[in-house]
Amino acid sequence: MSLAIETEKLVKIYGNGKSMVKALNSIDMKVPKASVFGLFGPNGSGKTTLISILVGLLLPTSGSARVLGFDAAKHSVEIRRRVGLLPEGFGFYDHMTALENLTFLATLDGIPSDQRRKRALEALETVGLKDRADAKVSTFSRGMRQRLGVAQALLKDPELLIFDEPTVGIDPEGAAEFRNLVRRMNREGKTILLSTHLLYEVGMICTHAAIIREGRLLVQGSVDELCHSVRKEKGFRYEIRVKPGSEIPLQEIRSMPSVVEITQSDNRVTILSKNDIGSSLFSLITKSPYKDLVESLTPVEPSWEEIYRFYQEGG
Amino acid sequence: MMKNAFSIARKEFTDTITSKRLWLIAGIFLLFSIASTYSTSFGFMIGGQQAVRPMVQIASTIASTMAYMAPLLGIALAFDAISGERERGTLRILLSRPIYREDVINGKIISALAVIGLTIAVSSLASVSVSILLHKVAVTLDDVARICIFIVFSIVLSFAYYAFSLFISTFSNKSSHSLIISMGVWIFFAFILSIISSFVTIAVLGSPPTRAIAVFNRTRRGFGNFTSPGVPASELEEYLSYMRKAAEISSIIQAFSINYHYTQITDSLFGFATGPLGFGQRERTIASIPTVLSTRLIDIIVLIVFPIVFLVASYMVFTKRQEK
Ligand SMILES: Nc1ncnc2c1ncn2[C@@H]1O[C@H](COP(=O)(O)OP(=O)(O)O)[C@@H](O)[C@H]1O
Ligand SMILES: [Mg+2]
Repeated sequence: MSLAIETEKLVKIYGNGKSMVKALNSIDMKVPKASVFGLFGPNGSGKTTLISILVGLLLPTSGSARVLGFDAAKHSVEIRRRVGLLPEGFGFYDHMTALENLTFLATLDGIPSDQRRKRALEALETVGLKDRADAKVSTFSRGMRQRLGVAQALLKDPELLIFDEPTVGIDPEGAAEFRNLVRRMNREGKTILLSTHLLYEVGMICTHAAIIREGRLLVQGSVDELCHSVRKEKGFRYEIRVKPGSEIPLQEIRSMPSVVEITQSDNRVTILSKNDIGSSLFSLITKSPYKDLVESLTPVEPSWEEIYRFYQEGG
Repeated sequence: MMKNAFSIARKEFTDTITSKRLWLIAGIFLLFSIASTYSTSFGFMIGGQQAVRPMVQIASTIASTMAYMAPLLGIALAFDAISGERERGTLRILLSRPIYREDVINGKIISALAVIGLTIAVSSLASVSVSILLHKVAVTLDDVARICIFIVFSIVLSFAYYAFSLFISTFSNKSSHSLIISMGVWIFFAFILSIISSFVTIAVLGSPPTRAIAVFNRTRRGFGNFTSPGVPASELEEYLSYMRKAAEISSIIQAFSINYHYTQITDSLFGFATGPLGFGQRERTIASIPTVLSTRLIDIIVLIVFPIVFLVASYMVFTKRQEK
């Protein structure tokens, strides 16, 4: 597994003396290439600080970060040449049009002059703003500005995209479009790091995640790994759907040693177990006389809220 | 490397040249400077003042308006140069490009130099030309040379205020703060310091002797002629020595003011005596340009060093600063 981002014992301290804030406390983060990596944490947990160090806007107090093979403290220009960033709290030149803003930024991205306009229009098209290309940014809504923010990150066609709080201020439709965009970029092989405190909006598109609190990474890994740990602690959940109007006997399941709780509603039976009993449940049901009454047996994934709460409460 | 700075400068230049702020300042300058030449030309007409060199006197009038407008232009271009981008979040967008922080500040400075140079040169020439046409005065080659030198030092003065205001802007998070500080410093240099200087003079020397003032008033009538009949030489000497000391105190205090050094240069250039006599009496003969430049060398050096110091300071503060 090759890494797009790797940090080692990253520490960032703001201020000194009494006003000292330890914003990052020994962060070791590994973002695999071609992943959609969610950095989840409440406000003030250090997400923006971490991202700013990755692109060289801030220098770490100690520790190091490598992004696409470059040291963030020493070769940040090389990193920014290859990384598209949507910073937190960004703004555009209101008196200029969307297209003028993007062509100006494309100049600074080092895009040759004969391609700037084309690239800018492509980026606007990608975010669905092409028909507003010649409108002044001062006429844009919050959501349109956010989309323009995404467009400017795409200008250089970067291999790594970093979005800081991308869904802040946009409506649910906009958030859905953003998720589609991220999926599309990811299919093209791009790595995407996104930070948010609103994990229900983007959690579902992540392949990997890290949870940060008070400058510490509480956990990181693939979504499967994270789910598995939660299940191991909080129990495994399964759902059996039965044909409408029918019931199945539950004594056998209840007598399985690790089953903790069984709840029933309408044609749904939910089983909570201490261990992974997926395969034994499956064989039990397929061998049982009532197997024809069962429509499906599925493991229930923990929701992002559950995973998040689990780790925030100390794992 | 400089390519990015020039890209930023080009955008900045277009923005500024088309801004209301710039046209307002240039417009006010033109209006006031041309209007003020009427009182000078009225002076020629009633013959109360000897029009030694009409063009020089008109230029001197324009210079006194410039002394106010050049600093305001510099402040107007700089106070939000960095803090404005910070407030609007455009600085974040700029700094996420593959450029250096140096490029951003270099771009701003290059553009400001061009805008200040252009605005001051064009508006001074416009004001001078209109005045020449209005008052029908003759212009010599020496006049033109003096006006060119005046334009150069006006650009330097404006740039001095630009550099100072830029410095404030680099560490300010709010443009309104940066504007207030810059304007405060301008008001201090342009108005407060001369008031302080008068207070200090009176505190140190005491009030001027009443008799001496009466003498002064009598001598004034015979302009430039301090041996007016009926005035005892001793009283004249008492008055002159008081004035000489007062001017000395004033020049020490005002040495802190960049405006003062600018005014010293333009006054010499356009023939004001500001030496021991004080009170801005017009000299009968105007010093040659090389004499003006050599006697005002200290003022020239201060005027040039001031912006350099603040540019370097802005540069250091801005490039060393980290911001997310
Ligand atoms: N410039 C700064 N000076 C001092 N403290 C700061 C500064 N920026 C952020 N902090 C502090 O660092 C911590 C992390 O902030 P930040 O990285 O913005 O968090 P997040 O992006 O997760 O909301 C917070 O406690 C915040 O108050
Ligand atoms: Mg943040």
